[in-house]
Amino acid sequence: MTTAVEMKGIRKVFPGVVANDNVDLSVEQGEIHAIVGENGAGKTTLMNILYGLYRADAGTITVRGQPAHITKNADAIRLGIGMVHQSFKLVPSFTVAENITLGAERRNLIFVDRNAVRQSVQQISSRFGLKVDPDARVRDLPVGVQQRVEILKTLYRNADILILDEPTAVLTPQETRELFGVIRSLVAGGKTVIFITHKLREVMEISDRVTVMRDGKVVGTKHTKDTSAVEIARMMVGREVLLRVKKAPAKPGQVVLRLEGLKVRDDRNLMAVRGVDLEVRAGEILGIAGVEGNGQRELVDAVVGLRPVVAGHVYINEKDVTAAPVRERRESGLACVPEDRYVRGLALPATVEENLIVNCYFKPPMSGGALLNLGTIAEHAKEAITTFGVRTVSKDVPAYTLSGGNLQKVVLARELSAEPDLFIAAQPTRGLDVGSIEFVHQRIVDARDQGAAVLLVSAELEEIMSLSDRIAVIYEGRIVGKLEAREATEEGLGLWMAGITDEHKGGHKIDV
Amino acid sequence: MSNASRALQRQLGSALRRSLSIVLSIAASMVVGSLIMLWYKQNPLEIYGLLLKGAVGTQRSVFISLQRATPLIFTAIASTIALRAGVFNIGTEGQFFIGAIMGTYVGYAFKLPMVIHLPLALLVGFLSGAAWAFVPAIMRQKLKVSEIITTIMTNYIATFLISYLTNYPMRASPVTDQTPPVEPTARLAQFVELNKNLGRATQAHVGIFVALAIVVLVYFVFKRTRLGYEWRMVGTSSSFSEFGGIKLDRAFISAMLVSGGIAGLGGAVEILGVWRTYKNLFASGFGFRGLLAALLGGQTVIGSTVAALFYGSMEAGALGVDWAAGVPRQLIDILVGLVIFFMAAEGMWAFVQRIKWVRAPGTERRTTKDLEV
Repeated sequence: MTTAVEMKGIRKVFPGVVANDNVDLSVEQGEIHAIVGENGAGKTTLMNILYGLYRADAGTITVRGQPAHITKNADAIRLGIGMVHQSFKLVPSFTVAENITLGAERRNLIFVDRNAVRQSVQQISSRFGLKVDPDARVRDLPVGVQQRVEILKTLYRNADILILDEPTAVLTPQETRELFGVIRSLVAGGKTVIFITHKLREVMEISDRVTVMRDGKVVGTKHTKDTSAVEIARMMVGREVLLRVKKAPAKPGQVVLRLEGLKVRDDRNLMAVRGVDLEVRAGEILGIAGVEGNGQRELVDAVVGLRPVVAGHVYINEKDVTAAPVRERRESGLACVPEDRYVRGLALPATVEENLIVNCYFKPPMSGGALLNLGTIAEHAKEAITTFGVRTVSKDVPAYTLSGGNLQKVVLARELSAEPDLFIAAQPTRGLDVGSIEFVHQRIVDARDQGAAVLLVSAELEEIMSLSDRIAVIYEGRIVGKLEAREATEEGLGLWMAGITDEHKGGHKIDV
Repeated sequence: MSNASRALQRQLGSALRRSLSIVLSIAASMVVGSLIMLWYKQNPLEIYGLLLKGAVGTQRSVFISLQRATPLIFTAIASTIALRAGVFNIGTEGQFFIGAIMGTYVGYAFKLPMVIHLPLALLVGFLSGAAWAFVPAIMRQKLKVSEIITTIMTNYIATFLISYLTNYPMRASPVTDQTPPVEPTARLAQFVELNKNLGRATQAHVGIFVALAIVVLVYFVFKRTRLGYEWRMVGTSSSFSEFGGIKLDRAFISAMLVSGGIAGLGGAVEILGVWRTYKNLFASGFGFRGLLAALLGGQTVIGSTVAALFYGSMEAGALGVDWAAGVPRQLIDILVGLVIFFMAAEGMWAFVQRIKWVRAPGTERRTTKDLEV
């Protein structure tokens, strides 16, 4: 085998952070090479350097044995390197063919040669088994197909080294499976694939070799068949990690959250939640599975009180709070870890202490009358920091000095110290590293065991399946299926998540 | 641990950088100012010496500086409250003059013992300033109309309304558009009236103590009260505050009202202490200079107060040069303007950075998210 890409001694410093520190990476021609690591480990930075989006401060890059001087994006494309980003860069109103050729159109004299364009797109897509309709508008395509268009875009530009940055983050299990098929056919066709992910299962399933990064350094590169998920997790985090949460069977009590025919609009004023009925009981975790953008965000917003309810009712502890302000709901026992941690969950410029008291500063013992009890607040903050193991120099530093995992601990500490009856956790581990995920999961289960009704919303099927007692699947604003977690299979949930329900009534019969 | 201690170092470093940049901006302004003075065949050293002497050189100049700074402290604190709570009250100018004219009215229209009359005039100044800020505040929260536009417009309305009032209903003199004098029971004593050796030949008055009391009070409100916490949080992140259960309407509107109220109180204090009658167009620009002082002072209560005192002393210094050297006043204003300009450029920088924080949390110095593009 020859070496497709060789990166040696790569160093990249951002203000205050060493993102890549003396990183060596060697990718063989024709292999699927996974790069894994916690967030902030420097995976994406490294790939952006290879793709010419960043310039390394030090180090050399060799492509197919030739020293490569990649100073800009165009250099990388000329060398046959293509990248599919986490967020797609497509024009929704253009057709597939137009998107693929945009900026590299074949012309006849003045005009774009549409026929030539369509032909070359069809040729490439049939060669690699990437089925798409070249005339379809991108906005009408499901996410999985849009991703295929992105891959075609790189192939059209003659890429033979493809970088896929967390390609499965937005896909259903079925779409993921299809993507893996595509990746295999790419490699069979002589391409090289670099695959960034933090999902260990995918690493084990698809990759030939895996490079693990931590804190901007490479911890090691292994042949996938010689290693295990547990070993990779340990390399990523630097210690032993529990990949699955231990929990006792649920002891459901009375209904704490009840939704009746809930309808909510999204920011574009479209109906995002189209009539949801749900009950969550004390002492159980109800997981809502679904591909992102199917109304989960709006559902949570409506329960918390951040978004008006168009129709239907929200009851907390049998009290109608459909039109109640946020504080009244919180005082009725609601707590929430919000999906957008850095926008709603925290005020980054404010201190850790200020972040910890927003749900309790106004009532005794934190304040008496109009005055804050600074002493009590300081005690409360210190206690929360200790109990939740938040790593911070003091309670008085701005929140932005903390790492992502520690910030989520701050949110958890604040929300759980209110001892809620209803605890909503929306995408609670998104972007967190393996170690922090373990912590967050344990806290969610603890909250349940202390009698809280937990509503867990997550796009991670694994998370839903390992934490939930009952599972509901949301698709296009409706609950398309509910079942006991022990009866759930990934396949079955995946079909529901893709909106396929007709052939499979009754959920538990859908084992494949 | 190392992560946060680095942050601490960074904070120390930024304080150092900030002091350095203030020194540099003063130096830069003096270089440019000196060039201008050389062009006009003046000795820059002499002029800057006189400027300094006029600001703090004698007992009298100190009192003039205080008198000049007093109204600016009010408007600077008013601006600071608004900025910290995340609203742009550009209307402190109008609120100041509305407070001034209403304070004047109470001052001449009633005959009351001093213990009632003076506090009443000040209270009415506060309330009318707050009332003037009320409409923009409501329009912002209920109708989503930018408070920048509405507060600027209410400044014009205030100017013309006062022009009307001093020309017609409140006019006392056939010659000038001016109100009757304020009753002695509603006046804030000038120092020279208390002791003829104190601040002789100046109009410095005890209103400075009212100003300083407001500074202490607002400082306390920010640090120690629920309301102050709400203001700080909604100013830092309204999404976070809303999620946490803070009532945004209440926090924004109260910040706007208190801001307007303090500006109005400042107007009343200026009339009752210095002018003792309202002469149409007796001065202008208190609101804008206060806003500048708030920006110069990094939008902190103490910083704005210091900046207002600095601004006041520069004005006093300019007067000093005018009297002593016969240099045209306009030239001195250019010098002072340059100092403020260079410092404001520095202050604006801090402000812009703050905006970036508020608008796009998680974009800077986050260790993970910005690297995982």
